[in-house]
Amino acid sequence: MTVDIFMVFQIDFKSGKPAYLQLVEQVRYAAASGAIKPGEALPSIRPLAEELRLNRNTVAKAYAELESLGVIETVGGKGCFLKDNQSPFTRQVRHKLVIKDIDQAVVTAHQLQVDAATFLALVRERLDLFAERKTHEK
Amino acid sequence: MNTPIIETKGLSRRFGKTDAVNGLSLSVPPGRCYGFFGRNGAGKTTTIKCLLNLLRPTAGTVRVFGLDPRQDEVSVKSRLCYVPDAVAFYPWMTVRDTLNYLASFRPKWNGEVEASLLQRFELDPGKKTADLSKGQKTQLALISAIAPEPELLVLDEPTSGLDPIVRREFIETVIGAYQSGDPEKRTVFVSTHLIAEFEGLIDEFTIIEQGRGVLTMDADAARDRFKRIRARFAQAPPDLNLAGALDLRRKGRELELLCNGGSEELLEILRAARPEDLRCESLSLEEIFVACKALTQAAP
Repeated sequence: MTVDIFMVFQIDFKSGKPAYLQLVEQVRYAAASGAIKPGEALPSIRPLAEELRLNRNTVAKAYAELESLGVIETVGGKGCFLKDNQSPFTRQVRHKLVIKDIDQAVVTAHQLQVDAATFLALVRERLDLFAERKTHEK
Repeated sequence: MNTPIIETKGLSRRFGKTDAVNGLSLSVPPGRCYGFFGRNGAGKTTTIKCLLNLLRPTAGTVRVFGLDPRQDEVSVKSRLCYVPDAVAFYPWMTVRDTLNYLASFRPKWNGEVEASLLQRFELDPGKKTADLSKGQKTQLALISAIAPEPELLVLDEPTSGLDPIVRREFIETVIGAYQSGDPEKRTVFVSTHLIAEFEGLIDEFTIIEQGRGVLTMDADAARDRFKRIRARFAQAPPDLNLAGALDLRRKGRELELLCNGGSEELLEILRAARPEDLRCESLSLEEIFVACKALTQAAP
C-alpha cells in the first residue's frame, strides 16, 4: 500500500467540493502524512494558482482558511509556513472539527453500503498506517 | 464597492427580423472572473459589443462601472481592456511600435509587466506584426491588455485556434500578471468555448442560448447542484419512480441520470433497489453547458 508522500495538489471539479476546500484538505493531509513538515514553506499563492490554473482568489481563500484553522502562518514578505502540530484550539473545539470530518466519512460509508464493522476496521487500518509513517520518519 | 462592474437589464439587440440578444440580464460583481458561455451564434459577441459601445442596444440597458458605455464612452473604455477573437494590428508596425502606440492612449502603463511578459512569451520587439504567428499576435494583444492594469478585462474567445502551450500560458498570465493587483479592481469577463480550460478560473457564469440567458450561477454552487448518478444492478433495473431525474438513460443493467438538485432523494430511491454499484459525481462546467437544456427543463 502506498501513501502520498509528495505534496502534489490536484483539483477534481467533479467531486462537488469547492476547489478552495479541496486545497485546504490536501494541505492538511500533506501535513498529517509528513509530506510537508512544520516550518517548511508552502508554495506562494500566485505560482500555485498559475500551476493549478485556479483563480488567484480561490488559492488566497484556501490559505486564509488554513491560517484561521491554525495550520499555516504567514510571515510578512517571506511566505506561508506550516505551523507545528501544537494546536491553539481547545480539546473541545479540536474534537468538534474532527467530528465534522467523521460525519462526512460516515455518510459516504452509508452511501456506498459499507457496514459499521467494516468502517471501523478501515479507520483502525488508516490510523495504524499514519502512525507507522510517523515512526519511520523519526 | 457595491456597484456591479457590468450590468445588463433586459438587453436586446435586433438585426433585421432577428433578435441576436433578447432580454439578457446579468450582473458582474467587482473582482470576479465571470464566464459567458454559449453556442456559436448564441449572442455572445453581440452582447460584448454592446458593452463596448460598438453596437447600441435596441432595448434594455447596459452599464459598465455604473456608467452608460454610450454616454460615457471614454470613461468606460479607459478603465477596461478588450481582447477580441480576431486580433488585428497594423501589419507594418513592429511589436515595439505597436506597444508604444497603444500605450499612448492609456493613462497608466506598467512597463515592468510589459517587459516581463515580452520576455516570457519570447517576443522579438523588432518583429513586424505581419510576421507574427496567430499565437504571438494573441500574446501581443494580451500584453497590451494587461500592461495598462485595467479594472476590467473583457476576453472574447481569447484562446481559440491556439496550441495547448500558448493556451496554458494565456491562462497563467491572466491569473498571474493580471490578477496580482487589488482584487476589487481586477474583474475578468470571458466568453469562451474552451470551458474546461477556464474551469478553475470561473467564479460565476451565464449560459446564453438564442439571445436569452438560460442559466446564471455561481460555479461552486452549480457543481454542487448538478450531478450525474450512475447505478448498476444485478439484473435489469425495475421501473423506479425517479421523480426529478433528468435525461434518464438505461443501458442494459445500468442506469444513468442527471439531476438539478435533489440528488440525496434520488440516491435513497436507488439504494432501496439494491444496486451493485452506485456513484454520484458533480458535473464540470463544460458538462453543465452541454447538458444545459436537459438540466434547466424542469425547475425543482
